[in-house]
Amino acid sequence: MGDRDWNPLGYKTLYRELFKKHLNRQEMLMNMKRPVGWFFAFHPSELIYVFDLISAFPEQYSAYCAARGSSVDLIDASIATGYSHFLCDYFKTTIGAIIEPEKATKPLIPKPDFIVGSRALCVAHHEMADVFARYYNVPRFVVNYPYWTSDSLKNVDELTKEAEWADELYVEYTVKRLQKLVEFLEGIAGEFDEEKFKQVFKKSERTSKLLIEILKLMMSKPTPGSQREIGDFVFISFFVLGSDYALEFCQKAYEIIKERVKSGEGVSDERYRLLTFGIMPWHSLSLYEYCERMGANFPVNLYVNASVHLVDSKKPFESMVRRSMHFTNSSYEMLESIVKTARKADIDGALLLENTGCRITSMIIRPLADVLREELGVQSLILDAPQCDPRVMPMERAKTQIDAFIESLS
Amino acid sequence: MEGMEMREPFKNFYRIFRKREKITEYRNEGRKILGLLCNNIPEEIIHALGAVPVRLIGFYETTALANSKAPSWMCMYSRGVLEGALRGDFDFVDGIVSATTDDTKIQLFSSYKFYIKPSLAYLIQFPYVKDSLSREFFEKELERFVSILSKGLSAELSDEKLKNSIEIYNDYRKVCLELEKLRKEDSPKISSVEWFALILSSLAMLKDDFVKMVKEELERLTDFEGRNDFKIRIHLSGTDFYHLEILKILEECGMAVVSDDLCTSAGYYTGFVEGKDLRAVAKRYSECSACVMTLSHSGLSIEERLRFIKEKVRESKADAIVVLKDRGCEVCGHQCPWIVREADVPVLVLDLDFPVSVEQYRTRIEAFVEAHGGG
Ligand code: SF4
Ligand code: SF4
Repeated sequence: MGDRDWNPLGYKTLYRELFKKHLNRQEMLMNMKRPVGWFFAFHPSELIYVFDLISAFPEQYSAYCAARGSSVDLIDASIATGYSHFLCDYFKTTIGAIIEPEKATKPLIPKPDFIVGSRALCVAHHEMADVFARYYNVPRFVVNYPYWTSDSLKNVDELTKEAEWADELYVEYTVKRLQKLVEFLEGIAGEFDEEKFKQVFKKSERTSKLLIEILKLMMSKPTPGSQREIGDFVFISFFVLGSDYALEFCQKAYEIIKERVKSGEGVSDERYRLLTFGIMPWHSLSLYEYCERMGANFPVNLYVNASVHLVDSKKPFESMVRRSMHFTNSSYEMLESIVKTARKADIDGALLLENTGCRITSMIIRPLADVLREELGVQSLILDAPQCDPRVMPMERAKTQIDAFIESLS
Repeated sequence: MEGMEMREPFKNFYRIFRKREKITEYRNEGRKILGLLCNNIPEEIIHALGAVPVRLIGFYETTALANSKAPSWMCMYSRGVLEGALRGDFDFVDGIVSATTDDTKIQLFSSYKFYIKPSLAYLIQFPYVKDSLSREFFEKELERFVSILSKGLSAELSDEKLKNSIEIYNDYRKVCLELEKLRKEDSPKISSVEWFALILSSLAMLKDDFVKMVKEELERLTDFEGRNDFKIRIHLSGTDFYHLEILKILEECGMAVVSDDLCTSAGYYTGFVEGKDLRAVAKRYSECSACVMTLSHSGLSIEERLRFIKEKVRESKADAIVVLKDRGCEVCGHQCPWIVREADVPVLVLDLDFPVSVEQYRTRIEAFVEAHGGG
């Protein structure tokens, strides 16, 4: 199979700017001795900006360790301490960094003053929040979102997460817990500033709309961008949504992709359009480039899609709950929203990554493959791909499997 | 007590469990059967609505069908249930109920619903927190459960029926505590294999029937000769466990199992419903401290579990803990190091991979008994 020209959107510079601004903010707040909070994906990141908190996300730090090559030693350290092998890679990597910091990539994740555990994606977040809080002996607050089922949520838009109906019982309880979270944060970081809250949410709304638009544009033909760039959107939607720099990033990114689509250019000479799902294997992101160079592009990354939601600044608390209405937090009969997206994107196949140790994303892989086959007649390639442990997914083996799969599509 | 063989009436109880004898009987009587995927389901409600709650457990040497629909590294409990469901071995259930107590149980519920499409399926949403707001929420969640279940079963819940079911379940818990006493005597009268034969059978029949059957046997059980040929008293720790083979090895190596915190045993029957209504049921299930998911506002669930284990060890005068750590269990996976680190007695961790080839554990167990058994 030939190596085609690869023409990414060029978001690399934008990411560099974004990270720089984010780190500057963190440093400034460190100097001001502001409290450090540990949070998890799907946490309402806007509150970090409302309360001027220094934020740390074990998932993000672990992904960083995986990209820099230290995660393997950290995972081994956690297993040697007695934690099971078949647990979330993010948990094992972070625990490894706590137990044996000398082996971890620097700068280390800052020590928390408090932890917010949640279940908007996985119980594992809650389980690990417990363990981390015990190691550091710091307060921990829990927000439990519902796991959505067909009797509690109807007709959700896969990208915006707008639903025709959501059971009030669950929405109300979660809103109340989130209001309690605000009280908890007040106790830690000082008074709640109503005006700032509104401003942050306005920014978040604008950013969320841009993110959604970009992801819609990604479904254009040919696929305009690379998953190497789009995959990192989870950093924005999970961790820094509500910040000035996230908005700036999205404004620029949107202009770039809009122009690209207008010009009719693709990331490569497109032969196949693949849907992908699964947390990115941070140690081997070149996997996406490898496929794209063969003309197999990714107009849809369901994991990235799951990370975004439409923020309504007039209803901030409801928006925080809406964040949890993604398909990875819903029972499988609700996969119909995915079929709609896949149909719209006109896909030829799917590359599904099974993240060893992650029950939430891995258990859904085969039902997803079954649905895509039954509803759209497309085949899936399922790869064992723990997000921080490259030993389970040797690149050469993955490439061979991908070659055979792409061959089978022709 | 001679050897490790199971005696009557335990054999009879175990047969009822393995052959699903009572379940078949109830079905033949036209009763609806609900399969449970978790020990923390408020069964009183199901019982009061006239259905029979039974715990789904799958015993299989291999789980090829389950492995084709879910990762093979998942815990044995979930693979066993999925395998049974896909093979059609659970066709006797009219519906399933699970809870958000861990990722596995949530996803198992989704998978089951997706592939088997039972006409009734409910996932109980636990609040994880014990503050008044969450308690109120959980009461409403149970009202919701009642309303969906009533519709599905075409049955009405009355105060009287619920009160009656609460009494039956509390009776069941009392009986289990009575049996526990026999187990933790200085010369334990019930072996671990026999204990699990009893308790597992209670997961596969109406509690009314179980209580009646046990009460009929209680005098005989009390007269049983206790065991004195052991070297060490053990507390068993773990989650959804139901494999008797490994227990046999423990006992053959000189261990007497005198207590546990397993989801399929003490983690299931511990804690009474104090009251007669739905509020009381909500309180019991949201405060059951044997479970990983329920935590106080200020405390951590690991701490609650450790407290529970320590209390059990103290009461039963256990000399050591054996952790049955299923390699795919997320709960054991997170909590095991803390049990090892903070227990007041020595701990042996057995990493279980299924199917279990039990002999591989013998040497380690013998060495542990040698090191810690007073003789
Ligand atoms: S990888 Fe899976 S288990 Fe780990 S934090 Fe993400 S969703 Fe949760
Ligand atoms: S508690 Fe452990 S064994 Fe039980 S379902 Fe959950 S992961 Fe499986």
